[in-house]
Amino acid sequence: MASDLVLPGQPIPLPRGPVPQLGRGVYEKDEQVRASLVGVPHFEGSSLVISRLRPQPPAPNSVVLGSITRLSPLQALLSITVVDDIPLPPGEEFTGVIRSQDVRATEKDKVKIGDCFRGGDVVRGLVISLGDARSYFITTARNDLGVIFATSEAGATMEPVSWQEMRCPKTGKIEKRKCAKPEGLS
Amino acid sequence: MQSTFDRRRINGPEESLPPVFISEPQDTFSNTPVARKSRKVSDIRPIFLQPGLITQANGSAYIETERTKIACSVYGPRQSKNTAYNEKGKLNVEVKFAPFSCEHRRAPLRDAEDRSIAVAIQQALLPSVQLEHFPKSTIDVFVIILEADGIEGCIASGAIAASTALANAGIDMYGLVTSCAAAVIEADIWVDPTQEESNTANGTLVLSCMPALGIVTNSWQTGRMTPSELLACIDACSGRCTDIHSVVAQGLLNSAHDET
Repeated sequence: MASDLVLPGQPIPLPRGPVPQLGRGVYEKDEQVRASLVGVPHFEGSSLVISRLRPQPPAPNSVVLGSITRLSPLQALLSITVVDDIPLPPGEEFTGVIRSQDVRATEKDKVKIGDCFRGGDVVRGLVISLGDARSYFITTARNDLGVIFATSEAGATMEPVSWQEMRCPKTGKIEKRKCAKPEGLS
Repeated sequence: MQSTFDRRRINGPEESLPPVFISEPQDTFSNTPVARKSRKVSDIRPIFLQPGLITQANGSAYIETERTKIACSVYGPRQSKNTAYNEKGKLNVEVKFAPFSCEHRRAPLRDAEDRSIAVAIQQALLPSVQLEHFPKSTIDVFVIILEADGIEGCIASGAIAASTALANAGIDMYGLVTSCAAAVIEADIWVDPTQEESNTANGTLVLSCMPALGIVTNSWQTGRMTPSELLACIDACSGRCTDIHSVVAQGLLNSAHDET
């Protein structure tokens, strides 16, 4: 309904009863729940939210997509281009860093960054913290996180063969990556 | 050849003629106020407000009040570069005058007037933005003044346009900021003065507030005013701000309808 649109600062009428949990886009001031965004307030589970489709900076626990820009023995630098399925405007990427201890969940001390990522790989990761002044800390220590798109040395798009290896369809050569488990596989 | 020739910019032709204005600009500054023809002293100029005009920006707004024309664009939240870790976001306001915005050509260089307007607008907006939602990020607000008719009007309209652009950009805010100016001219309060009117004024006041919450965010006073005149100015301004709030609300609702 169009009449349900609210503006920043506008009080949101609530049904009688306990005050619901407040999510993004709403706030409480002087015991009055108000909107902080333009939109239609609705319930998502038990919390009241105003959703927005505008890009937002990464926050802890948001899933991000990005490409590897730089490798070092201790960490890989990631240029974040998508945050929670919302693409960022071009030129406004955030930088993330995957430290070697955050690449996978087991045998953390045996991780070689060069055997997990290569420059240009597209990686799905999870933000663990806001990190330092320069970058967000990203982890790929989960089955569904890791490299989702990579090209081989021959330039062909590779396909994953296990969680640690990818094969080039052109030359049949196997390269090492920390692969993400494709969606829809049991 | 001019001594201040700037080869990095597109320079105008060497020969030019002065433009013909609809209303002849006054040659001499008279200190006697000219009575308003089209509106009462308690009336503001009609406002045209259009959010979302600049498609490249994250959010934008264009405002026009007779001879004051301002475009505002909001970019970000983007990552703050070269700064220390900051729990709260940063609000960056930049004001630029178009070279043709005033009666005399303005060189495309930043001067003190741009910056004082930028500070006034930034202070008006700052209490309204929920910067704690944007750690390590910067929100950039660019205000471009296409035509200026009084610095007070520029600050007021600029703050309204910037707040509308922030709402259009989906930045979390406590409320919408509206702003209004008033001048004391011969013991009378003239709301929303033009350039000529504020030249004859004893003092002027720009008041910014969030009418939805009843909070004053900024006030900017120049010149001489008695306390009772100041209180009368604040009353007049806050009343007009409530009126402007409905204009802003209507503009945002219309643009939100168009998007869905």
